[in-house]
Amino acid sequence: MYFQKLILKFVLILMSLATYLAPISAASRDENVLIAGANIGNVPWEFQDTAGELIGFEIDLVNEVAKRLNREIEIINIPFNGLFSAVQSSRIDIAISSITITEQRLTSVSFAQPYYDSDQSLTIRSDSNITSVNDLQDEVVAVDTGSTGDIWASENQQQYGFKEIRRYEGIAPAALDLQIGRVAGYISDIPAMQYYTKDKPELKVVERIRTGGSYSMMFRKDDELALSVNEIITTLKQEGLVNELHNKWFGVLAEESTSTAKVTAMPGVKAGLLLNFMDTFLNKAVFVETLPMLLLGLTTTLKLGLASIVIGLFFGLLLALNRLYAPAIARVIAKVYIDVFRSIPLLVLLIVIFYALPFVGISLSPFTAAATALIIVSSAYTAEIFRSGIEAIPKGQFEASQALGLSFAHMMKDVILPQATRIVIPPLTNNSINVIKDTALASVVAMPDLLKQATQAQAIAANPTPLIAAAGIYLLVLLPMVLAVSHLEKKYSKRNQ
Amino acid sequence: MGSLIRLENVSKHYGKFMALQRVNLEVAEGEVVSVIGPSGSGKSTLIRCINLLEQYDDSGKITVNGTVVRKGADLKNVRANVGMVFQNFNLFPHMTILENVKLAPMRVDEISTEVATKRALTLLDNVGISDQADKYPGQLSGGQQQRVAIARALAMEPKILLFDEPTSALDPEMVGEVLNVIRKLADEGVTMIVVTHEMAFARQVSDRVIFMDAGQIVESGTPTDIFDATREPRTLAFLKNVLEH
Repeated sequence: MYFQKLILKFVLILMSLATYLAPISAASRDENVLIAGANIGNVPWEFQDTAGELIGFEIDLVNEVAKRLNREIEIINIPFNGLFSAVQSSRIDIAISSITITEQRLTSVSFAQPYYDSDQSLTIRSDSNITSVNDLQDEVVAVDTGSTGDIWASENQQQYGFKEIRRYEGIAPAALDLQIGRVAGYISDIPAMQYYTKDKPELKVVERIRTGGSYSMMFRKDDELALSVNEIITTLKQEGLVNELHNKWFGVLAEESTSTAKVTAMPGVKAGLLLNFMDTFLNKAVFVETLPMLLLGLTTTLKLGLASIVIGLFFGLLLALNRLYAPAIARVIAKVYIDVFRSIPLLVLLIVIFYALPFVGISLSPFTAAATALIIVSSAYTAEIFRSGIEAIPKGQFEASQALGLSFAHMMKDVILPQATRIVIPPLTNNSINVIKDTALASVVAMPDLLKQATQAQAIAANPTPLIAAAGIYLLVLLPMVLAVSHLEKKYSKRNQ
Repeated sequence: MGSLIRLENVSKHYGKFMALQRVNLEVAEGEVVSVIGPSGSGKSTLIRCINLLEQYDDSGKITVNGTVVRKGADLKNVRANVGMVFQNFNLFPHMTILENVKLAPMRVDEISTEVATKRALTLLDNVGISDQADKYPGQLSGGQQQRVAIARALAMEPKILLFDEPTSALDPEMVGEVLNVIRKLADEGVTMIVVTHEMAFARQVSDRVIFMDAGQIVESGTPTDIFDATREPRTLAFLKNVLEH
């Protein structure tokens, strides 16, 4: 049964990776509709106005491109990290999201010529004393997972002495944590942050960080569409339309020397070969490069998992004993706790703890928040496991202990729990496996666990190898535990016959 | 000499069912009392009330060695004075034989490991299984397990031993070895109440035999009174039924 679950899980991982493998789906689509993916909410590039209409610099641009191609357009919302796999699998034709052209990305995807020269920026709380990244020594900084800001911060972490780089999925959660004070600064694209902070006096952009990145539209590697779009952008630049958009969204025309005004070459049009299966999924260079990151993530995952399991066991046992033997009121409280926290989705609880508690003055670190959520839920499940284990002990064991005059504590400690433990070891191990798997949810609160590290590495390299490697690492850690459960269950059922 | 155990008007009901109805009984120090009767007659309930494994109704009163048997601080004293041997042995399966016997003295009386071990080995020797001390209950025969259970009860040096059908779960060839141990204890003057189906044993060992039916003591007397000069028709019917088989 555990094997089945495991296989199912593996299949699910493969299915999510299969987005990389599915150009077939493109064939079944309406040829005339161009599908663009965008990380909606990325101001002022692509976001929703109050009426729910999609607007922004790149929305205008991609609409114009579609018009020139004589095709209709559909724009779908995909998080930044997901854009790479989406173009590679042809789930979308074009990705827009102020995506910076990098050498590394060019090995896996294609870009049209750039239309905006950007830099990174440092955003802080208006009431803070920080004026530049030099003031961020021993501070926590926020970035967007896998973005140019992330790449820059990671490369310069040592130089500036950042205490920690915390990775978010988009501006809103990062800005929220900046306001709460969980991070001291937020490194992100300067145009987006300038636009975002325009109507938010509590935040301000204090420094331009020169990274010299240029944005463009992203395509599947060597897609002919990239060439056509590149030509259209040349035309649009010559017509001055791109710079008009700049004027519309930034209130000023771009200088003549920038890629917004000037026609440039299509980047990296080396006689690139389509990556084969091995290069895509099991790219050795990418694997070697990202392995240290993944192992760091594994350490975090294991620390979080073990802390949650051990503390969850302790509280679970306490709850079970209360549920069974405490005075009526404590018994009811224990029962309510157990039922409630087995019903709330862990992810919901985690988000409430991390993002809602700060409003009542409780601001927990990602690790503490994730551990708290995991412990709360794990102890509820553990309590039920202990309860069923204790209830499985024959009544005669209790009676013999009582008749001998053993106190309740001694009866539990010496007679009942040692026997119950043998019964509950398989289900407890099973629960522990679930706790370790659930640590992956902690990536939503910017915890650098294994999954988070893998998605980050995937976005930076624009290659799914780190995800495959992460799946492999989860398997290496959990498969022995799964096999141990099967073994223990078999052993236990044999002894009971 | 006063009674070691005194039951006054003891009743016990489960819902509407009366398991015990106003039972009165006194057991003197050194006395061996056998309780016989059909199943469901309240024999086990009777002795289980004595160490409060079952709560009895508030209308009655049980005293053991002068202490009233009720929930509370004194219950510990009562249980220290009353040893019990169960039909299904109820040994602790995760402990060795030796550990089974010395657990309670170490935990309740807080006796040192050395003294407890020494005492346990003596007790195991008395019931004839000191050579099995390091084995686990599952490795022993039923008869051996029940002898360990007796040693375990004796380890607390109780004033009274309660036996709840101690041979009913045993294969026939093992009944003898357990009864011999109980007989030996009776000869040594240990006070005991034995719920049993072994009529020959009851006749031979008991100072007094009690016949119960429907939660009441129907007849009580010496073995000769009960077995040879039966007065009550219900007792007679029961004995006739049992002895014919």
